Amino acid sequence: MFAEGLDLVPALLSARVAGLSTLAAVTLGTPLAWLLGRYRFTGRALLENVVLLPLVLPPTVVGYYVLVLVSRRGPVGEVLAAAGFDLAFTWRGAVLAAWIGSFGLFVRSAQAGFELVDPTLEDAARTLGRSEWGVFWSVTLPLAWRGIAAGTALAFCRAVGEFGITLMVAGNIPGRTQTIPLAIYDAVQGNRMADANALSLLTLAVVVLLLLLARRGARVRF
Amino acid sequence: MLGRVVAACGLLVLSGSVPHESTSGRRDGLVVFAASDLQPAFTELGPAFEQLTGQPVVFSYGSSGSLAAQIELGAPADLFFSADESYVRSLAQRGILDRASTRVYAEGRLVLATLRSSGITVASLDQLLRPEVTRVAMANPEHAPYGRAARQALVSSGVWETMAPRVVMGENVRQAAQYLLTGAVEAALVSSSLALDTALVSAPLDPALHQPILQAAGIVRSSSRPSDAQRFLDFVTSDVGWPVMERFGFVRPHVR
Repeated sequence: MFAEGLDLVPALLSARVAGLSTLAAVTLGTPLAWLLGRYRFTGRALLENVVLLPLVLPPTVVGYYVLVLVSRRGPVGEVLAAAGFDLAFTWRGAVLAAWIGSFGLFVRSAQAGFELVDPTLEDAARTLGRSEWGVFWSVTLPLAWRGIAAGTALAFCRAVGEFGITLMVAGNIPGRTQTIPLAIYDAVQGNRMADANALSLLTLAVVVLLLLLARRGARVRF
Repeated sequence: MLGRVVAACGLLVLSGSVPHESTSGRRDGLVVFAASDLQPAFTELGPAFEQLTGQPVVFSYGSSGSLAAQIELGAPADLFFSADESYVRSLAQRGILDRASTRVYAEGRLVLATLRSSGITVASLDQLLRPEVTRVAMANPEHAPYGRAARQALVSSGVWETMAPRVVMGENVRQAAQYLLTGAVEAALVSSSLALDTALVSAPLDPALHQPILQAAGIVRSSSRPSDAQRFLDFVTSDVGWPVMERFGFVRPHVR
């Protein structure tokens, strides 16, 4: 199916990196999206903009400052290195890069989902004796589902495609930090067009499939 | 419902991580950061070294300047092959490379290349001023040694001023060659190692037009396997490795 002897390690690494970064985006982003979608508070606009910043800044700029923070000589990296944990130039750094690049997309979409939830339905649940926590799980979250599902798919696809931040933070080391986009970049530069084409097609197929699944999933009532 | 999303992500993570660990996670190749002009030669030398020693090598290619910056910031390289001496010397001075291990392993040659299919041939730098050559690619002189040599050659031939607006800079010399191979430019100043592609025609440049491209290498001090790194470093200039380097246009250095 693919070019003879195509190295699938970048694809497996990409699946792991994008999977973990999406998991982080969903778990951290859902409460944040709920907060931003349902409440007005001081600093809300600032928080919203900070979340969106990595989407609008050039990835190399974001990547450079993340690297400055997490490299062994950076303030965060120094503490982590003392604990025996390296982020820069490791696959974990690639997860961090993918998460930073895709978090805003998830929050944006999930926030829109929460904004569309009709508060009277939540009030109805409250009058029926549900606790605040019960209202959130049985009413708010199911109604915001479409936004969350769409955000998850978008974040995953963005994470698969993340290039600029990853190159800066994780480098381009085959078998360790070389995800699909970096492997394609390397193949093109090395004039290995068959590899570049095969990896591009593989990515296209996976991403299109996921977007289709997400659209279908979002239409299903839970 | 949210549980399903999490479960789906979890599955993806597992499906991604399990085969990854078994295929490459424990492969533990020697990590060599190499200037991009070395790619064609090292693509042959890597497997040859593995066959000889059983030790796999993985290469991360880039411009010497950006690779040096990554190593300085703690990138997990075992060995650094730069396209020039200055980055190696400066890393060794700061204790990042093992000073005793550093050596000039080759001298690189700059050539003027054109695309065979374009029918354009350029024999010397002043011929770059001909109207059919609208764009010329070279590596960025700020952090790529071949870019620096290319600029020096253009300056000493007295054509830099006129050429500058038509120059397209690649992040590294490999990208400059790629611009030519894709037909984005009509000519490129690249290393002889990258001009061997059958799609290209190249003319050698007088090495006296620029400072010699003395390519140096050194072992990273934080490497956990300095003896493996030393073996690969020796292998490149050995009787087995050197003929490959020579075939890709590298010359034995005439210093020290």
